[in-house]
Amino acid sequence: MRKILTSGLIAGCILFVLSYGGLFLAVRFFPALFTQYNNPLFNSDGSRDVLFYLHAFIISLALSWFWDRFKSLFKGAFILRGLEFGLVYSIIALLPVMWISFSSLDISIAMVSSWFLYGLMQAIIAGVVFAKVNP
Amino acid sequence: MLYKNILWSCLLFFSLSSFVLPRYLRSVAANKRWVISENSSLLVNGSTNINKFSCGILAYDQTDTLTIGKTDKGVTLSGSIALGVQSFDCHNSMMTRDLRKTLKEKEFPKLHITFLSLSRLPELTAQPQLIKGMVNIEIAGARKRYEVDYQITVDVQKVIHLVGTRDVNFSDFNLIPPRKLGGMIKTNDKLSVEFHLNMTALD
Repeated sequence: MRKILTSGLIAGCILFVLSYGGLFLAVRFFPALFTQYNNPLFNSDGSRDVLFYLHAFIISLALSWFWDRFKSLFKGAFILRGLEFGLVYSIIALLPVMWISFSSLDISIAMVSSWFLYGLMQAIIAGVVFAKVNP
Repeated sequence: MLYKNILWSCLLFFSLSSFVLPRYLRSVAANKRWVISENSSLLVNGSTNINKFSCGILAYDQTDTLTIGKTDKGVTLSGSIALGVQSFDCHNSMMTRDLRKTLKEKEFPKLHITFLSLSRLPELTAQPQLIKGMVNIEIAGARKRYEVDYQITVDVQKVIHLVGTRDVNFSDFNLIPPRKLGGMIKTNDKLSVEFHLNMTALD
């Protein structure tokens, strides 16, 4: 349990910096990609900002538990294990969620694809961290 | 003696009223009514940290009247227009819905502009007249008084064009400028409002 929490928190901190740093840079350098977020579908009063920024830790802790449970199935070098872990998570969890989101919400294919890629990158980075910290 | 008193009273009344009545009559005579035509419009320009937006109500669907008059205190401009928030169009359906939500359309379906005064009586010519005036703007239930820059012209069809411009802030009306993705996309507080009233003078 301690190993799950420790590796989850480490991955959470790394994902926090990379995810929000990357998002900040993407908004700054590719603003046209983000104009679609001026949409009432997205919270706009700032009341959920804390929840938004906690996401890195939520996904890291959840993936940490998932890694601890199934890490024996991922073989090879730590980068390869992390990569496979990220792909498995993305296909099992992300793809169906993105599918239902696109089918039911007024969002574009570009937006939902960017969410899928964002989640995939997060899972791969978390997987590499887990493969190193909790092999 | 009685006739003399009546005569003096009449003389006194006319001499006093000569100072009062003409001024009063001049004020009434200066009162003019302008009927706002249906092709008047309102534009709101704003920006976020990633783009600019321009939203407008391009066809004002009511016929209201403004009354302009001159009194001792200055030039009054009275009348108001009520604009439906539902009529805003930002040329992008998501942006339009976002603006309507920000302006609390469900609670306050109308925004009001009430005209109060002008800095001077405008001369109605084809040459643009630049004057200032006071208005009350009411958005989302909050009312604020502003000084507006006006430009007034008259075209060949004798249509009076009154263009008013003014920068306002979302925060003036206790509204929170939209912010998305944890504040990474932020709408700037400042909005530039421009209304264009096309009017005809009533004789």
